[in-house]
This record gives sequence, structure tokens and C-alpha cells, in this order.
Amino acid sequence: MSIFSPLAPKQDPPLDDLVNHEVEKKFSWSNLYRSSNMTFLLILTYIGSFFLFGLVALARGANPFGVFGAMLQSSVLNVGSIEQVILRAVPISLAALAVAVPARAGLVNVGGEGQLIMGAVAATGIGVAIGASVPGPIAWVAMAVAGAIAGAIWAGISGVLRTKMGANEAVTTLLMNFVANDVMLYLIYQPWRDKFSSGQPQSQPLAQSAQLPALFGSQLNLGVVIALVLAVVTWYLIRKSHWGFALRVVGGNQEAARRAGLPINKLLISSMLVGGSLAGLGGMLNLAGLEYQLVPGITASFGYVAFLASWLGRHDPIKVVVASLVFSAIALSGNGIQLGFGLDGSIVDVLLALIVMAPLFLSKTRKAAAK
Amino acid sequence: MVDSAEIDLTRLEQDAKLDSTKNLLEVFKICKTFGTLRANHDVSFTLKAGEVHALLGENGAGKSTLMKILYGIQKADSGSITFMGKVVNIDSPAIARNLGLGMVFQDLRLIPALTVWENVALHTKLGGKILRKNNICELIDQASQRYGLAVDPNAKVGDLSIGEWQRVELIKVLLAGAKVLILDEPTSVLAPQEVDALFDIIRRLKNDGVGIVIITHKLREVRAIADRVSVLRGGKQILCDLPAQDITNDDLVKAMVGEFVNPITNSDRGSGSSSQSTLVALDLTLRAHGEGTGLKGVDFDVKSGEILGIAGIAGNGQRELADLLTGARMADRGDIELKGQRLTVAGPKHYRMAGMLGVVADPIREFVVPGLTVAEHAALWLATSSKKLRFDIGSATKWLHQVADRIGLPLAPSSKRLDQLSGGNIQRVILTLAFADPSQGLVVSYPTRGLDVRTAEMTHGLLIDARKQGTAVVLISEDIDELLSLSDRIAVISHGRISGLLEAKNTDRLEIGRLMTQEAS
Repeated sequence: MSIFSPLAPKQDPPLDDLVNHEVEKKFSWSNLYRSSNMTFLLILTYIGSFFLFGLVALARGANPFGVFGAMLQSSVLNVGSIEQVILRAVPISLAALAVAVPARAGLVNVGGEGQLIMGAVAATGIGVAIGASVPGPIAWVAMAVAGAIAGAIWAGISGVLRTKMGANEAVTTLLMNFVANDVMLYLIYQPWRDKFSSGQPQSQPLAQSAQLPALFGSQLNLGVVIALVLAVVTWYLIRKSHWGFALRVVGGNQEAARRAGLPINKLLISSMLVGGSLAGLGGMLNLAGLEYQLVPGITASFGYVAFLASWLGRHDPIKVVVASLVFSAIALSGNGIQLGFGLDGSIVDVLLALIVMAPLFLSKTRKAAAK
Repeated sequence: MVDSAEIDLTRLEQDAKLDSTKNLLEVFKICKTFGTLRANHDVSFTLKAGEVHALLGENGAGKSTLMKILYGIQKADSGSITFMGKVVNIDSPAIARNLGLGMVFQDLRLIPALTVWENVALHTKLGGKILRKNNICELIDQASQRYGLAVDPNAKVGDLSIGEWQRVELIKVLLAGAKVLILDEPTSVLAPQEVDALFDIIRRLKNDGVGIVIITHKLREVRAIADRVSVLRGGKQILCDLPAQDITNDDLVKAMVGEFVNPITNSDRGSGSSSQSTLVALDLTLRAHGEGTGLKGVDFDVKSGEILGIAGIAGNGQRELADLLTGARMADRGDIELKGQRLTVAGPKHYRMAGMLGVVADPIREFVVPGLTVAEHAALWLATSSKKLRFDIGSATKWLHQVADRIGLPLAPSSKRLDQLSGGNIQRVILTLAFADPSQGLVVSYPTRGLDVRTAEMTHGLLIDARKQGTAVVLISEDIDELLSLSDRIAVISHGRISGLLEAKNTDRLEIGRLMTQEAS
């Protein structure tokens, strides 16, 4: 308290602010629940999610412990799998940051998927055109810039629709995902189709020099470093910069922001542009570091997984990266199930959903207990 | 006492036959703590049939807590409530209603989309499972005639004035069979004439044997209507069941505040220090959006070093006027000039930078950003008053400390989240920011809302100081006494028009009240 002493009330403390904090002293289970450690409760709910998932597997006739074993095997129990988890987490975390930045301004960006796709499309266009004729680093930078711009445009369209016409950005970003997917499909079925692909719809692969090289004899590449750096940069932007503070005001109370004279439309659109460019870059890294060519389903719905990761990480860039790693592991763990148990690999989506819902359940019941 | 020969027998009347010397309601040693705060500590009072008992106290004195306990919204830690001779356990509002305790809240709780009789039916469950419109309307008519509660049962509640809302609330509660009426700050939303009408109604109810508890902090009302008074301060009982005529106004204030507060008035009001108009509004016109009347050609000027009071019943264009004067909205037509500079087309930031500051009318909606601390709000205020958008929370904190020392309003710690503070604390932050530096023009909406008596007086002092420093002040308030004691001139606003411009020292409540309720021509 002493730091604030110059501001502390000189006479009686204002009584009325104390009335807001109602605390019952009597013992009850709900009080115990309310006062127990948040982290502990959170871990409990996550264990609960796995338990429920186990029940689902059991209901499908599989041994839950066997399923968990296979999932661990194909995600985190060997170095190769861990490297795969990290690689997949790169586009997921960048698309998740694309959700987190506009969320700061109160916008809901469901368009990570489309922005990833457009980033990959733009990177393919540039990469195929110049990849074979310029040195690697130049191709990488050109592809990265193109990917980021494409993602920014894709998200920016929704930002402009929102500010100029009042169209709900959650709806427009979602619809833009389908447009992006169709644009990509058109390109790989028609103009960009690889002639040597024995009938598969896919683009030409990137030239060897335009692909991101593996680092230190592992499967990991430069994309991992870039994703981590961008997470820190994003953290700085939304937590420490003037721009981030202004976004927070707009997101917290737009009417107050308007009355304070903040340029609301500029802030909303810029948050979408920054978010979109991050996802676009994610699409480029996914292409140049992992897929090397456009194929249908190249994003494997990572855009939607990223949306969940951002919400699970409460739009805090650092937590969002952690959540992206977890979701990447769960998504990959589906492969193990597919191979061993006759269950469909997509069953891991159930676990994913349960994990996202667990903390929601927690906050809901705590509120109810507080009443 | 009741004259039972005159009127038909009704439920109400049977109860009114209670001996008026017996207590209808006895509240004994109620205690209630929230965490470490004692909201009520050994609070007692009694209420006789046919009596008006005023419960006085500042904000935070514990009046509302006591009423919530009586109405079953909260449960007392200890103490007892005796109703008509029996100790009762009031665990829910439904129990309170069944007993015959009726509560009229400050924020009136009716459904605007329904008609009067539908609202009444909803509350009273008159007529059982099937709604019998005619029966209910008849009951409403009877009650309105008996107590002078003029209201049309078929009118849609959303179309009624606030005074009529209150009457519907009263009918609703009475038809539910209330023998004790609890009125929470009933006059805060009314024009003076409506207040008189309400007091008339209260007198009739009283003659009918209804016991009435009126929660208030206005001495005028105690004098006008109360038989006995009880005073709370900081949750403790200061005065209990004292006949109103046995105590002077000064002693009542002392009981409420703990010390005598010299009411601050604008002593040399009307002696405008300059003849130059600093703030000029010309033909301000704004279409009505949603609630409110909009503005229909408002003209006025405020001189440097002058306080122009804006009087009016809520929703007659005050909000719109404040919004236009601070740039939060743009007029459809008309001009605003500050020191000869035309401001009309620019946004809020240009108004700020030109020296036009405001105290918002609705802090939660228009000022408080959830999640941000007091210091961060100060940083936002500073950043948006200067050309470059730079948020420096460190130096804003320092600045706020200095300003708070100078201004003297007690502030919450600057690291507290503003949205978690009470209305009074939020208001002190807003006032401190607005009065931090002398400004050319200042638009102040309801400045003392939610403040205790002492800080309210300090705020009045700040307004007088601003006037002395040459600021052109527009003071929007629904408290006519506040306007009369502070303003140089008072403009009365009604239906979006200025219905009268008065010299504050040459007018009185009645004239203002007349202009406030003037119908649009």
C-alpha cells in the first residue's frame, strides 16, 4: 500500500467501494471450491477432459489406455515425433497470433484458415516464379513478404467491411475461408497444375533452393525460430506499445475510446492487417518448410485449431504458443490411433474440443458458486 | 387515523384498523457484514401504521443494505424483524411480498413493452391463471382514484413519463397487498411538481393506514413528509425513531455527515466577470435517436468565468447537448464556437485540444475501460488531450498523484482497476482528471452523482474555482438546489428546447419546475 500513499484517501476511506466485495464467511463446499487454487482446478479439469475422451474411446470399443499410449507414441515419445509437433505448431501458432491481435481490439477473427491458405498461395506464386533463378535467402524473403501481404489483404477485407459497413467480422472472416480454399483449388486444378503430377491436383513444387533447409541435422527449420521471434514481437506490440494500448481501449469500451478521440476505424483495420500478415506468414512457412507445394487440404484445418489455441491461451501471445504446441501434439497423435486401433484419427478432435471447453466450464461454475 | 365510514372495505382497510400506537414493523439490532465491512451494525427502527418514517444517510451509510434485508434480497447476520406482532423470517422477496412488504426501487422495474395492466398482472398474479383484463383494469382504476394515482391501464409503459412509471410501480405494489411501502429515493427522478404530487399520494396512503419508509438524503423531503426519522452513518445507527419536529436541519446534517459541512455556494453569482462570450451554441439541432428527445434548435452563450446551469427532467436533451458540446456526436445543424473558433465539425480530440473538457454523464458506458487501471485511464486522458498518441503510464501515475494532491478529492490507489471500483470512486477519478488543468470550457454532467456529502461539496468548490479561473462552465444537473446555488444563469431544457433562461438569483424552484414540465409547443 505504501507506494500509493500519496493517493490514499486522507480522510475516511470511501466506504462504498468496499461494499462490492461480498465474502461469506460460513463454510460450504462452494466456498472451498471458490477459494482453491486456480491452477490446481485447471489441471483437474484437463484430467477430466482426458477421462471423458477415454470414455469415448471405450464406447467405440477400443482400450483407452492403449489409445493413449499410441497417441503419446506418435506425438511426444520420440525425437522425430517431437520435431514434427514443433514443425506443425509453426503455422498453428502464427494463425493463433492472428486471432490474438484483433481480439485485443474486440474483434473475432475466425479467418486464420483462409489467411494461411492465401499466404501459402502467394508464396507459391512467387516461389515457383523466381525460386529456381535467385539465391535461396532472396526467394525466402520475397515469399515471406508476399505471404504476409496476401494474409493481410485477406483479413483486411473483413476489417474494412466491419468498419465501413458494420458487417460482423466473425461471419465475414469465416466466409472468406471458403473463398480462399476455392481460389487455391482453382489454381491447382487449372493454371498452376503440376504437369508431372500423374493426375493429382497440385502445384509445381518449390525449387530445392527456395525450400527452407533443415537445421542442425534435425527436421526443424528457420520457421520455428521466426515463429518464436514473432510471438515475442507480438507480445511486445500488444502489451507494451502505444498501438497495443490503444487496441486495448477500443476492445475494452469502444464508446469510451470514441469519446477519448481514438481513431477507432484505423485501429480496428490495422489489428486485422497485422493479424492477417502473421497468418499469411504462417502459410508461407508451412509451404516453404513442410509441404513445398500446394495440395488440397494443405492447411489440415490448422486455421481452426489455431482459433481454439488463441482462446485457450486467452490471447496472450506466449500462452498461445504453448497452446499451439499442445494442439499440434494432439492433432498429430491422431495418426497413431489411425494406424493401430481402427478408430478414425479425427476422434482426437473430441479431445481438442474437451480441452478448449474445460476452462470455460471452470469459469462458469466458479461464477455460479460465487453467487 | 382512518376514517372507515367513508370508503368501502378492502383488504387494505382491514389492516389499517390496526391501532396506530402499535408498531406495524419493528426492526431490531440488525447486523450485516460484507468481508471486513460492517454495512449494518445494530440497526433498529420501528414503523407505525399510518406513519412516514424517513431513513436518512449518505451513500454507503447502509440504507440500501437494510432495505435489501427487509425485502429478503439479503440475509442479516443477526437481529430480528417483527411484522404485525410476529417475528418473521424474510428469506426471499416473494416472502416479503406475501407478508405485505412492498418495495419501490430507485430504478423502476417495469417492462416497457407491456401495458400498465399487464405489468400489474405480472406482479400481482391477480385473477389467477387466466388474465382477466377487465377485472384488473377495474382494480387499477379503483386504486388510482383512491390515492390520486392517475394512470391509464391500457397505456404502454414504455410511452409513460418517469413520474407515471413510479405511479404504476406504486399501484403494482399496493394491489399486491402491501401494508408497508418502502420507497428508495423516490424523488430522484422527478420534477418539483411531480414531487409534490407524489407527496400528496403518500399522504393519502398514510391516511389509509399504510406504513411508509422513505429512503432519502434530502432534508427538504424529511421536512415535507416525514413523521419520524432515523439516521445511519457508516453502517451505524446515529439517530433512532426521532420525531421529525424535534430536530433541526443542522443537527440532521451533522448526524448524517459527522461534522457540519458548510454548503458551498456561488456567492457572487450573476456578477459575470466578463461580457465576452467564450462558449457559444447556435441553433444546435440533432434528430432523436432511440431514447431522448434530440435537440431542436438550442442557442445559448456562456461567458468566461460563468456557470450556466442546465435544468431539466432526465431525457429532455441534456445527454445530446453534452455530447455535442464535447464532440462525442455531431449536430445535424448548428454551430459550436469556443473563443470564436468554430468547433462543430471536428471530433472529440479537437474539442479537447481546443480546451473544451467534459465530465461524462454515464461513466460506465462512456469512460470506464474494463481491465484498465486508474493510472492507465489517466494515461489515456493525457494521450488523447495531446497531439501525439503516446501512453506513458509511469509519468501519468506521477502526474495523477500531483493533481490529486492539488485537487484534494480522495482517490483509490492508481494501480486498482477502475471497473472494479464503486460509482463514487469512479466519479472522483473522472472529476480529478477534468479539473486537473484550467480549461476554456467545461461541460459537467451530474458531477456529484454517487458522491458523499463532503466530496460533493468539494466538487462544488472545484466548480467555483474553475469559474474564478475564467472557465466557461456548463453544469447539467437534475438537482435544482445544486443548480440554484452554483449557477450564474440557468437554462431550462424541455423536449429538446430551451424553455427558459433565468438569472439564478432571481428565480426559484417553482419557476424552474414550471419550465421543466412545459409541453412542447
